[in-house]
Amino acid sequence: MILFLQQVLNGLIIGSTYAVVAVGFSMVFTVLRVINFAHPDIFMVGMFTGLAAALHVSDNIVVALIGGAIGAGLFGLVLERLVIRPLRGRDVLMTLIATLGVAIMAENGMAVLKGPDPLPFPALIGLTQFHLGGVQIGERQLLNFALSLAVLGFASWYVRSTRFGRATRAIAERPDVAAAFGVNVDVISQITVVLASMMAGVASVSVAVLYGNAWAFAGLLYGLKSFVVMLVAGNRYFEGVMAVALGLGVVEALVTGYLSSSLSDAVAFFLLIAVLFVRPSGLFGSYGS
Amino acid sequence: MSPLLEISDLHVRYNAVPAVNGVSIVIPAGEIRLILGANGAGKSTIIKAILGLQPAASGSIRFCGEHDLLRLRPHQIHQLGIAWVPEGRQLWGTLTVLENLRMGGFIERDAARLQRRIDELLQRFPRLGERRNQLAGSLSGGEQQMVAIARALVSSPKLLLMDEPSLGLAPFVVRDVFALTREINAMGISVLMVEQNARQALKLAHWAWLLETGRIVVSGPSAEIAATESVQEVFLGGRA
Repeated sequence: MILFLQQVLNGLIIGSTYAVVAVGFSMVFTVLRVINFAHPDIFMVGMFTGLAAALHVSDNIVVALIGGAIGAGLFGLVLERLVIRPLRGRDVLMTLIATLGVAIMAENGMAVLKGPDPLPFPALIGLTQFHLGGVQIGERQLLNFALSLAVLGFASWYVRSTRFGRATRAIAERPDVAAAFGVNVDVISQITVVLASMMAGVASVSVAVLYGNAWAFAGLLYGLKSFVVMLVAGNRYFEGVMAVALGLGVVEALVTGYLSSSLSDAVAFFLLIAVLFVRPSGLFGSYGS
Repeated sequence: MSPLLEISDLHVRYNAVPAVNGVSIVIPAGEIRLILGANGAGKSTIIKAILGLQPAASGSIRFCGEHDLLRLRPHQIHQLGIAWVPEGRQLWGTLTVLENLRMGGFIERDAARLQRRIDELLQRFPRLGERRNQLAGSLSGGEQQMVAIARALVSSPKLLLMDEPSLGLAPFVVRDVFALTREINAMGISVLMVEQNARQALKLAHWAWLLETGRIVVSGPSAEIAATESVQEVFLGGRA
């Protein structure tokens, strides 16, 4: 029972980071109709700008988080302006291939700059373990979880309760009608990409602190999972994407705990694909394209 | 004084296929004007060209004599005071009724003023007030049409573009929609309506055009148009 609870908790923590990346990925897809395969590398860039901020500005967790958010946000801004916007309105495959190209360039470019192996990330916070009954949670895990939940809470508040967030959902469902009611679709699209990028930047720094390293290929794992999570949840409700991402983390952790860590991805993807067989437009429904 | 909207020699093509072929129409302030035409005649294309949603091949669309709408983007055109009741309502079904109305007033940055305007409209449409927190997609067709009209009125437009507002509605709801259109016009809002339901729309409009394969073939005061033989045959089921 303790093992079960421990693994559920571990899974929720891992899943909360998946959720942040997946929500950003699906916000961009939903609003711009772009499968942004560079999104995981925005995450990776945030990890390295956060590292740079920690090394060269101040070895303070807040500084590193801000560095990660700003770096990722800027990379997202440039990507939107130079790659995504010129290709909008074309076939969805065009932007998919273009962003995939950017992803490969970003990963390999970073590997050339900083080396192909993980770099140590400074220990910005302690290693205290907290005990709740028999279940343990580390200080860094707690920070990672709390930050992810805060970012998810922000994303949910933004799309539900703000004027621009409402416009974001309006564009997602009917872009033409939104434009005809005074929404500048380009501006909202750009804000969406930058926000999604900054969210990924925050998550990347907290993951780097958790595992103690920054890596040029750190985005790969998150990219594929975010994409599948979005397909399984459907993109109609961002909260649905969050729920599926958390569920994915829990399944992985349980498989790791009871079977083997090398099976965790296999079992998780099997379940996700099985869901798609039963519900092709996702558990919570998708917008028609 | 220049007319509210003046379309001159408008040509629109889908790829190479012409949809609108040299249409020139004028809407003076204060009137309800009607474009009649069968499916595929190009009625909705004209509306979309005015809104900036469909690029034109040539011609001009002037608003209040000065702005050439063909040079503006959809959100800029809306800011001049043009609102849209789209064909088939096209509400945001995953947004609540209230959120749809707030989106109708997206350009109003003053939240208090927007809320006052929405409250006024909800008084006029008490049924929508009852359903304000329901998802717009869950309403009946008639209620959805009321939301679509209310949504277009939130921004207090000068010109309302109504694309087939009677389509798919029960006859008693159609009567309500047309009565409401008259009421909107009495508030000083000009209306350009596109319809296939000629009999009732002609009673409402001051002026009408008959559009066939992208060209205006008949033009005149509604009463005269209703008496025209071609309109009688095509839309009114022969001589009454």
